[in-house]
Amino acid sequence: MEQDRAAIVHALRVSDHILSLVRQHTEQIEQLRPGTRHFLDLGQVPHLNGLEAATLLRLVQRGKSRGVTVQFTGVRQQAHQAFIGLDLSLLDSPEQRRGRLSLLESVGAHTLTAVATGRRLIEMIGELAYWLCIAPWRGKGIKWDRTYEQIVKIGVDGIPIVTFLSFLVGAVLALNAASQLRQFGAAIYIANLVAVSMTREMAPLITAIIVAGRSGSAITAELGTMVVSEEIDAMRTMALSPGRFLLLPRMLALLCAVPSLTMLSNVTGIFGGYWIGVLVLGLGSRNYLQQTGQALLMSDLVTGMIKSLVFAGLIGLVACYRGFYVHGGAEGVGTNTTASVVASIVLCILADAVFTTIFFYLS
Amino acid sequence: MPTAAASSSSHSAVQVDGLVAEYDGRAVLDRVSMQAHQGEITVVLGESGCGKTTLLRHIVGLLTPKAGQVLINGRNLHAAGEEERERILRDIGMSFQGGALFSSLTLEENIALPIIEHTQVDRETATLLARMKLCVVGLEHAARLLPAEISGGMRKRAAVARALALDPGLLLFDELSAGLDPVTARELDELILRLKEHLGMTIVIVTHELGSIQMIADRAVMLDAGRILATGPLEEVRQTDHPKIRAFFDRRPRARTLHGDLRDSLIVNGERYGTGSG
Repeated sequence: MEQDRAAIVHALRVSDHILSLVRQHTEQIEQLRPGTRHFLDLGQVPHLNGLEAATLLRLVQRGKSRGVTVQFTGVRQQAHQAFIGLDLSLLDSPEQRRGRLSLLESVGAHTLTAVATGRRLIEMIGELAYWLCIAPWRGKGIKWDRTYEQIVKIGVDGIPIVTFLSFLVGAVLALNAASQLRQFGAAIYIANLVAVSMTREMAPLITAIIVAGRSGSAITAELGTMVVSEEIDAMRTMALSPGRFLLLPRMLALLCAVPSLTMLSNVTGIFGGYWIGVLVLGLGSRNYLQQTGQALLMSDLVTGMIKSLVFAGLIGLVACYRGFYVHGGAEGVGTNTTASVVASIVLCILADAVFTTIFFYLS
Repeated sequence: MPTAAASSSSHSAVQVDGLVAEYDGRAVLDRVSMQAHQGEITVVLGESGCGKTTLLRHIVGLLTPKAGQVLINGRNLHAAGEEERERILRDIGMSFQGGALFSSLTLEENIALPIIEHTQVDRETATLLARMKLCVVGLEHAARLLPAEISGGMRKRAAVARALALDPGLLLFDELSAGLDPVTARELDELILRLKEHLGMTIVIVTHELGSIQMIADRAVMLDAGRILATGPLEEVRQTDHPKIRAFFDRRPRARTLHGDLRDSLIVNGERYGTGSG
């Protein structure tokens, strides 16, 4: 074992003889004029390992940079084997070989990518519309069994985490409000604050973030893996459309599950506030519920539901797009899954800001 | 280009004319023309990376040609409307290099899926048919297993069974025998011969296995760096006097040579490397 290790270490070592040769010839090359030729005799070197060959190759590179042609003479047959596969271009870094893009080229490349992404997204929306609205009239119905499967995965399996986090958010909102409102003897308005915050903002947003992290990532990873393992191609060769079998069921499931989970989040968030208000702050159960009832408006609930539907659509589009357009094997699946979650959350918060502004002016 | 003369007068199930394919601006297939005749086995040969799989993916419509056309029984898959395209594809069965079985479905569900989707049969009948197909490839005992629970060789056989699901007229196999034990590979070769002889299927196979080529191929298409090197009946291609074809059939390894700058910098036995015998 120890001997094997020693042999490996020895194989990866540059011998003193080669090192002194390289040192000596480097100095000589430095002093030569461009256009001259420099010879290095390897007749005394019976064999070379890969590391030694690469070290000698650096001499050729150094000579080339000074315009000096370096040639190895008297290379033994066994020694020349070590050079096979080596090339000066191996010493270039990948960036150098690819060449840096100028600012203008870089802007152009990003624009082309953005245009391609936009085109693919529009194609995807068109495909969704086809399988949802046109295909069922041509005898190709919606795959309800696959849709139910996805509803269970996204909706039913997401109930515990949405319940738990919404409860905590409701409780935290109540505690934060209490420290301020108590100073004015207005602690009972905690109920209003929790109810309005949850229905308008927090419930749709918390649910969207949880679903993006839990299910959006799962959708991207699953579709991406199917792309990598050629399952999607196999579907296409069997005349089975990925749009009908994979895309539409996931979109429908999200559009059904996210508003339902948002509703659940509303209830548990308000209960979290109630729990703090009644059990910790001693506000009185009847009073708290009465106050909550007065604060809850149908318009707020509807606003929240509209938001949750839009969030569901955004999460679905991003997750499916990222999944279907995975490149580069397992690494690509990982990268796209991360990108899917980040993009979904950013888009949901952006959309939320836009909606809140619109509803603010409308009301 | 040494091209063996096409001697068969039978009808072309697959006709590729002047196919050009590009990937990132790099030509992968350059004006490739070939035919696979009805009821014959055509093997596509060539070194790794020469464009064999790309050719197969164009034939089955997964890739769109940059130029040229692919006709399946005289119909252009790439120009066909949705229904026409579906009709053409229903008559093609393809087995991918890695199997490409649906990982969330059992083997019998994998095979039953296209049957359920494209025929009027009920689920039970489709499952029965799926088991029959699995029986053909010797996997009846694994019907209820998931692809992750079986070996790579079994996955390939299951993929063949799935390709046979709708009894297609045209079968495409990508690297069918690669990674299989000799007994299984031989069994698959015999199955392919049976499919041709008894059912008259047209079969196109990408393969490297010389034994398999010798046993099953009627015609061969030899590709090299995206171009056709030779095409025609197997024996004519074999006899073609082209160094790369000779090297392929004689299993002669490529000479390992030095690259670029180093070629000029190395003098072996008094001669510049590459100018002499070295």
